Amino acid sequence: MIGLNDYAPIVGQEVIDQLQRLAERLGPRRFIHVNSTRAGGGVAEILYRAVPLLQQLGLDVKWEVIHGDQKFFEITKAMHNALQGYKVHLSPAMLDHYREINRENARKFTWESDFVLVHDPQPAYLINFLRPQAKHWIWRCHIDASRPERHVWKFLQEIVSQYEASVFSMSQFAQNLPHPQYLIRPSIDPLSEKNRELTTAEVQEVLDRLEIERDKPIILQVSRFDSFKDPVGVIEAFRMVRRHTPCKLVLAGGEAIDDPEGPRIFAEVMEAAKDEPDIQILLLPPDAHHEVNALQRAADIIVQKSTREGFGLTVTEAMWKGKPVIGGAVGGIVLQLRDYTTGFLVHSPEGCAFRIRYLLHRPEMARRMGKMAREFVRQHFLTTRNIRDYLTLMILRENPTERIMEL
Amino acid sequence: MPMPIGKKAINLRELLQAVRELDESVLYYHIFQSRLAIAQPGEEYPNEFARWAATALQDIKLAEKLSSFDPFDYDNLAQVRQAVVDILEEYLWDIPYVPWARSGFEFYFCEASTVVMRSQIRADTLLKFCESLRKVGLDSMYYHFFEARWRLGVRKADDFSFWIETNFGLPELVAAIRGIDIYFYSLREIRDTLLGLIHQHLGELCDRTQ
Repeated sequence: MIGLNDYAPIVGQEVIDQLQRLAERLGPRRFIHVNSTRAGGGVAEILYRAVPLLQQLGLDVKWEVIHGDQKFFEITKAMHNALQGYKVHLSPAMLDHYREINRENARKFTWESDFVLVHDPQPAYLINFLRPQAKHWIWRCHIDASRPERHVWKFLQEIVSQYEASVFSMSQFAQNLPHPQYLIRPSIDPLSEKNRELTTAEVQEVLDRLEIERDKPIILQVSRFDSFKDPVGVIEAFRMVRRHTPCKLVLAGGEAIDDPEGPRIFAEVMEAAKDEPDIQILLLPPDAHHEVNALQRAADIIVQKSTREGFGLTVTEAMWKGKPVIGGAVGGIVLQLRDYTTGFLVHSPEGCAFRIRYLLHRPEMARRMGKMAREFVRQHFLTTRNIRDYLTLMILRENPTERIMEL
Repeated sequence: MPMPIGKKAINLRELLQAVRELDESVLYYHIFQSRLAIAQPGEEYPNEFARWAATALQDIKLAEKLSSFDPFDYDNLAQVRQAVVDILEEYLWDIPYVPWARSGFEFYFCEASTVVMRSQIRADTLLKFCESLRKVGLDSMYYHFFEARWRLGVRKADDFSFWIETNFGLPELVAAIRGIDIYFYSLREIRDTLLGLIHQHLGELCDRTQ
């Protein structure tokens, strides 16, 4: 089992010591996370590692998952989309169903806790039934809620307002709420299968298996085949680059099965890549973490040409592997990439093509940018920072009137 | 820990209005604390207003002006606020249009709650101090080098030079440390610069491990 000390060679012993002191100061608090899935998705990935690490630090941590029927998850998916700005209509019957499933789950939860962190809208309504069972209720929103759909947000706002604080991933996602809001940026786990160091042989084995030759520089985008990830725009950019410089493009990801446009976008991608031997489209299963890791390590340049993005953890993963990243100037990508320093921000297929060419012709610059990108991630976007933020959040909420806490 | 306050500016006029009205804690965050919360390696601009002018408004002239003001020239945050307001007002006065942020680059205001804790790394000799500097985290550098200037109430004095002066004298080293142009360095660079200065003044004493 991976322990806290395994992170010391990566982040430095002082970071681990700091976590231990924070946890000592906090004491053996009971801390419950509630979300709606134990596997799949960024929240589960973060909790999968954060929960045992917090336990090692002496906290009594539990991870509870709510259960619901298909109708419930269709409703909460619609809420998710509405928070991201889609026009969505939720009927009174749907909202009743949402409340009812939360009520059913609440009956099963008999725990008592000091802190409860409720992730995203699915279990948010639990507070209505369980409030006396915990001292501090905090809502954690992982979704890009910068421009939520008004009606759905009004409904959620009423629920969320009952919490004593909320946490968002980016300052632009913060909302008008009657309680303190905090910023905890997402993180990646450097020891997970998706991010751990791989040997050259391990990388080569994956390339052989996926039939990718390393005869030309590899440009890679890892993402779902979703219109907001603009895979067709990446192909356009690649074709522009190819007129001048030899290279190959790998588009790797899964189909967006919860996106009604998914099959259409995938068909468009296949059409755009037709008759082009230097474009490889890989449909990978959701748990192909090892393969994604190897592909990112094999790539020369990594692209994330999104036209809309929450935070963009694929960018963080690529940066952690010391690669120069070219990203769309949207959402959290803007926070992660800085031109000529840790990557390039682009606004169009033309911009993407231009920067790919720029980096292909300046390998020294690409190496330097990749190195800086890795250090930037080390300092700000690894699991240990997320753990520190959880501990700090708890200390701050136990002392709500203090703006500067001296321990 | 950063705390978004749910307000934003989409053009320079809105930024000016916000700087006039928002709490000092917001100003303090964007001028000082943001470098601890998140800072790109080799950050070019010393505060978030200057960086926003350069990257969001793409107005390098304004970014130059905002970079050249030194918050440590002022006695309190009210004066710092007035200095920023003066720069923005004067700039807006002289141009016939209001610069707008490009889409996705709006300025989102934050403040912060701070938790300060002892690192349990102690030094009672200069030799130990040198060793310790290599061990402490960058947040310690922020606390002792930036936060200290407001805490001690002497803009040019940080905890490190204050400790060296009080315990060992060494006026040349103290002056050299206080002469570091900290507003333009990253926390990592400040640590390296500090180590360099101490080495320069104390020579191989710092390299000894026993």
